[in-house]
Amino acid sequence: MVAAKKTKKTHESINNRLALVMKSGKYTLGYKTVLKSLRNSKGKLIIIANNCPPLRKSEIEYYAMLAKVGVHHYNGNNVDLGTACGKYFRVCCLSIIDPGDSDIIKTMPSEQ
Amino acid sequence: MVKFLKPNKAVILLQGRYAGRKAVILRTFDDGTRDRAYGHCLVAGIKKYPSKVIKKDSAKKTAKKSRVKAFVKLVNYQHLMPTRYTLDVDLKDVVTIDSLQSKDKKVTALKETKKRFEERFKTGKNRYDDYSIILMVG
Repeated sequence: MVAAKKTKKTHESINNRLALVMKSGKYTLGYKTVLKSLRNSKGKLIIIANNCPPLRKSEIEYYAMLAKVGVHHYNGNNVDLGTACGKYFRVCCLSIIDPGDSDIIKTMPSEQ
Repeated sequence: MVKFLKPNKAVILLQGRYAGRKAVILRTFDDGTRDRAYGHCLVAGIKKYPSKVIKKDSAKKTAKKSRVKAFVKLVNYQHLMPTRYTLDVDLKDVVTIDSLQSKDKKVTALKETKKRFEERFKTGKNRYDDYSIILMVG
């Protein structure tokens, strides 16, 4: 019971932090640009939706392992992740390049 | 946040005639050049893997089956799948960008690359942690 409550609270905090990144930071949305940001070592945190195809998820995780970048598995599907980004389209994966005022990079990897 | 597309990295080609072949990055051009305005790299890979050798094979047949055919190519980063393995074959002096300019330069570069790959394949059996064997298997 306590665990379920905790995930709800942290889930909201991820959404808040993501909203702050959207407002003040730099990010890219989408599989192609996520891989690009990992290749040129600009990405600092990758967020993947939970209904991402498993092969694509593994590929992004492998690239992130090579680049030593944290991956966060978002608790929601691509529709929810798109809404969390404030967009009206689905977002399967996104890469945070510059967090701006948000502390998402410092807090998210430790929670995993 | 660590750059991983560096020389000596083992990669797999994803597109083109050599799709599915393993290669080694020799030189990277992260910001591209005038002709190719995208991140790309010079790779040397294996065109034809050495065949399987059985105990019954004669020495002549083993030698023929252990041959490796190499290729050299400029590939876009998007068409590569990087791996966590590296291959420390010294090909920097052999293959340069201008060895792709003319046919005879390319042939000499490929001959030398083939020789280095083959000797790596043949002598790699003694070290258990040598990844060159893994890379030589199709």
